[in-house]
Amino acid sequence: MLKITDLHVSVDGKPILKGLNLEVQTGEVHAIMGPNGSGKSTLAHVLAGREGYEVTRGSVIYQNQDLLELAIEQRAQEGLFLAMQYPVELPGVNNLTFLREAYNSLRRSRNEKDLDAVTFMKLVRELARQLELPDALLKRDVNSGFSGGEKKRNEILQLALLAPQLAILDETDSGLDIDALRIVASGVNALRSPERAMIVVTHYQRLLNYIEPDVVHVMIDGHIVRSGNKSLALELEDRGYGWISEEAVA
Amino acid sequence: MNSQLERQVWFEETVALNDKAIIDSGFPWLEAMRTEAKESIRQLPIPNRKQEAWRYSRPEKLYEHAYFTPINPVTALDEDDIVSWVYPESESYHLVFANGFFVPGLSTLNLDKGKLHIGSLREALVTDPAAIANWFAQSQWHKSDIFTALNFALMNDGLYIYLPQDTRLDKPIEVAYLSFNLEQPVSAQLRSLLVLDAGAQASLIEHFISTGNSDYFASHVGELFLGQNAVLNHYRLQNESHQAHHLSRVSVRQHTASEYRSVNIAVGGAWSRADIQVRFTGPQATCDIEGVYTAGDEQYSDFHLDIQHDQPACRSRENFRGIIYGKGQAVFDGRILVAKDAQKTDALLTNKNLLLSEDAEVDTKPQLEIYADDVKCGHGTTVGRLDPDQIYYLRSRGITESVAQRMLSLGFAEQILEHTEDEQLHAAMARLISSQFAK
Amino acid sequence: MSTTTKDLQQLIEVGYEHGFVTDIDADTLPPGINEAVIREISARKQEPQWLLEWRLQAYHHWQGMREPNWAHFRTPQVDYQAISYYSAPKKVGDGPRSLDEVDPQLLETYNKLGIPLDEQKVLAGVAVDAVFDSVSVATTFKQTLREAGVIFCSISEAVREHPELVQQYLGKVVPYKDNFFAALNAAVFSDGTFVYVPEGVRCPMELSTYFRINAANTGQFERTLIIADKASSVSYLEGCTAPMRDQNQLHAAVVELIALDDASIKYSTVQNWYPGDAQGRGGIYNFVTKRGDCHGDRSHISWTQVETGSAITWKYPSCILRGDHSVGEFYSIAVTRGKQLADTGTKMIHLGRNTRSTIVSKGISAGEGQNVYRGLVRMSPRAENARNHTQCDSLLLGDKCGAHTFPYIESRQPSADVEHEATTSKISEDQLFYCRQRGLSEEQAVHMIVNGFCKEVLKTLPMEFAVEAQKLLNVTLEGAVG
Repeated sequence: MLKITDLHVSVDGKPILKGLNLEVQTGEVHAIMGPNGSGKSTLAHVLAGREGYEVTRGSVIYQNQDLLELAIEQRAQEGLFLAMQYPVELPGVNNLTFLREAYNSLRRSRNEKDLDAVTFMKLVRELARQLELPDALLKRDVNSGFSGGEKKRNEILQLALLAPQLAILDETDSGLDIDALRIVASGVNALRSPERAMIVVTHYQRLLNYIEPDVVHVMIDGHIVRSGNKSLALELEDRGYGWISEEAVA
Repeated sequence: MNSQLERQVWFEETVALNDKAIIDSGFPWLEAMRTEAKESIRQLPIPNRKQEAWRYSRPEKLYEHAYFTPINPVTALDEDDIVSWVYPESESYHLVFANGFFVPGLSTLNLDKGKLHIGSLREALVTDPAAIANWFAQSQWHKSDIFTALNFALMNDGLYIYLPQDTRLDKPIEVAYLSFNLEQPVSAQLRSLLVLDAGAQASLIEHFISTGNSDYFASHVGELFLGQNAVLNHYRLQNESHQAHHLSRVSVRQHTASEYRSVNIAVGGAWSRADIQVRFTGPQATCDIEGVYTAGDEQYSDFHLDIQHDQPACRSRENFRGIIYGKGQAVFDGRILVAKDAQKTDALLTNKNLLLSEDAEVDTKPQLEIYADDVKCGHGTTVGRLDPDQIYYLRSRGITESVAQRMLSLGFAEQILEHTEDEQLHAAMARLISSQFAK
Repeated sequence: MSTTTKDLQQLIEVGYEHGFVTDIDADTLPPGINEAVIREISARKQEPQWLLEWRLQAYHHWQGMREPNWAHFRTPQVDYQAISYYSAPKKVGDGPRSLDEVDPQLLETYNKLGIPLDEQKVLAGVAVDAVFDSVSVATTFKQTLREAGVIFCSISEAVREHPELVQQYLGKVVPYKDNFFAALNAAVFSDGTFVYVPEGVRCPMELSTYFRINAANTGQFERTLIIADKASSVSYLEGCTAPMRDQNQLHAAVVELIALDDASIKYSTVQNWYPGDAQGRGGIYNFVTKRGDCHGDRSHISWTQVETGSAITWKYPSCILRGDHSVGEFYSIAVTRGKQLADTGTKMIHLGRNTRSTIVSKGISAGEGQNVYRGLVRMSPRAENARNHTQCDSLLLGDKCGAHTFPYIESRQPSADVEHEATTSKISEDQLFYCRQRGLSEEQAVHMIVNGFCKEVLKTLPMEFAVEAQKLLNVTLEGAVG
């Protein structure tokens, strides 16, 4: 589904990703772990197509197309979703209006008609109920004045609503208390399916207790330095990142 | 570019050409003031770059041809020509003015209950001349502003609202000022006079609209008097033809503890300008003036606010947002003056602008003049683009860039509109703004 | 008005510690301005023909101009024929070759002002050029600077020694047609400072000019020209004082800064001209045109000013951000008391891409003082991704003063961001009570609060002068609390 080969990315002329390789198959859940500044979030944003990230070398093939050639919204319409670490606030933009526009944009890209308002409302309400997201938040402006936990749940609501083929979760656990973490994780788990792949970017192992990965990668200084199964995550929890950096250098 | 002389000639000719169409009010005091206004037109300087009030734009195209005051009130109109009502007639009083004349056939009539009056100024001059003489042209604006003087010289009618003490209207008043060209370009000059006695409360919605898309000249001078504890909610929805020239002057006088709340939406006109002046005549009054303006399509849009705190313990809030796109230009000038003895003044002005195109321009000028120390005053202004992070967020959800821009721009305006709780009114204002950059 | 305020109002008296007169033999031209006077100034300074012609062009242009007439505030009546346009200490002659040739009485004057010119006593690491009435009397540390390749001398000397540099840059940033006072200055400027920092050189010490008006009925029309060549940097400071006199005296200087690619200029001013007495008699009219051209890419010009003196100040140190990625800054503290009027601010003209500007203006009004911030931020169509942030804060001490803010913002570039914010406040009774309850005197409390209010600007001054400026603020506000 996704094949990243020798990816080099710079921000403001400073290299962040330095030859990253990663392959994700349909149905798999990959966790990418690593210390702060290792380039995890950069990878997530490059895949989503954010401006300001300069790909200096390498390729990203997503569902047999050159992902890097696609505009941000085209990637989304092709089924790539990024749940952001810091969901931006959109004052004045009603959450429901936004969700509906996003949902129908995807339908339009598949040459489907817009979903009628009543059916759409039912769909959103049901998803919101599952994520324990109060109805009132749907009526507010997107993320405006939401708590950290509410913002993250709003991200997962969009994930569920837009039902992507590849979901990237960027530090979705950061800033969540244990209850919110449980809700978010069960929302994500409900979306696991043989047709869908996920990349879970996280600093801590904690989230992986709830969302069990098939593969765990450790990223340091712009490379994936080690990959393994979920026991690698536990080992990291135990020993930190230091020993891997040393091994990587050695 | 017109020469100074040509402009001078334009003003005097506009007065002379339309002289026959101006109906003698029959009141010597009013006609004497009209003569005074005509004299002002000869004396006052024509707007030019060196006048601070006209620093950024002057209505140069206005002077290119003559505008004519229609001789007869327009009658060939029906209800379908007024599409902008927020509420049906069962829920608001409807009043229609067309090309400078009251149109009784389309207006809610028989609103005179005792001293209360809602209707034509010209009719009220006959029924209650003393009251009008007391209030009319008290702002004396025609002595300092040539366009107000011109309005005075050419106006035949206007709106008159008088609410006696403690009157609370059961419904809002909606007024439509309709302008459109006949065989020749039309000059539509109107006044409005609102007097709210102590404790009276009202909601007034004014629509400045047009049928068709022609170059007429609409000017409106409003004088509002709020008695002690009076409350006025005032909505001004300016949606003139994109070819037209629109000029409004609003003068508000607020007595002790009165409240003036106003929302101004301006989307129309090739050239439009609104000057809003607030003077406090008693302490503890508050005014809250908000607005959204859009300019694109080679439009010019201008707001000049002038809030003068001459009394202690008054509070004023001004909050305007502009969306400028295409080849639009917007000007915002917001002045707050706090006089020497106006202690405990609380005044804050905010102006934010979105500049969406390479060919657009914004000029903004907030001003504070403060002569008292125990005050809380400030202003904040921004000019900028849409936040790239917000655009990215929307696009990452599959929304195209142009739709994202539109959603965010409307969201930007919404942050003013959301203060209006009434859903119908809120929706009407939102529609007006979103109609401007459809696509 | 509270009782506290009343008591404090009575304390207000305008003291000025630099108000003495130096009794020195001066060579002064009779009052009046005409072509002959300009020729005489030029002749005394042995100027080349091109400079005389430039002066005369400026003079003829000036004759056709009118004095600016700001709205709202009093406009001074200046009789331009009653001013003497040239006054020089007699013994100085052609200018001293070394400090030994400087009149000891002059050295004493500067010592009194706290500006020792004797190199053994000078402020460490600061080179000083002293301008007395119309001419430069001494420049210190010349040798050290010469070794670094830095030219730091009076502008008269620069005209003689480095005519090609002067001719290339003089009047290029502030043309004589710019405004009434710039034209007058170009016609009659007597002296001033010239700085050239060659490519790649970081000027090894702070440069400083000290201006002193002494003679009665004279104007001071100095001209400063600072050129920072590619990748060089320089920090420059000017200070000003004048004796107490009943008559108003005119100070109409012009300062031009040019920063080429990657160069940086920091220009700091502590202006303490005589402000006039409590009744508003006398004092300096300080009408100065200061402008910097961020000519090169990544160039940087920073203005810092502490304005406590002068009867009337009109001054708008500005930056033309021409080079891509260039940076302009304006940090200002202006204090008015008595009947002073300070009308000051800046213009940031963004022409290049990714240009940045920051404006921080702190106005403090006391007594019957009026403080005005007047500024312009312009984003031209080419100024992609340009940014400006402006913060204007006013502090009112007493109910007879005024604080006014008139910013103009003009943008024609959609990717540019401009933010302007202004606030007005007073020192609250609560704040004073709190401080006094903790044992501070009212004046201490006010000084503390005022210094806090000004901190953002003070910290941009070079260390040696930040302390001095802070002291000056305290002295200025002595008793001016309300």
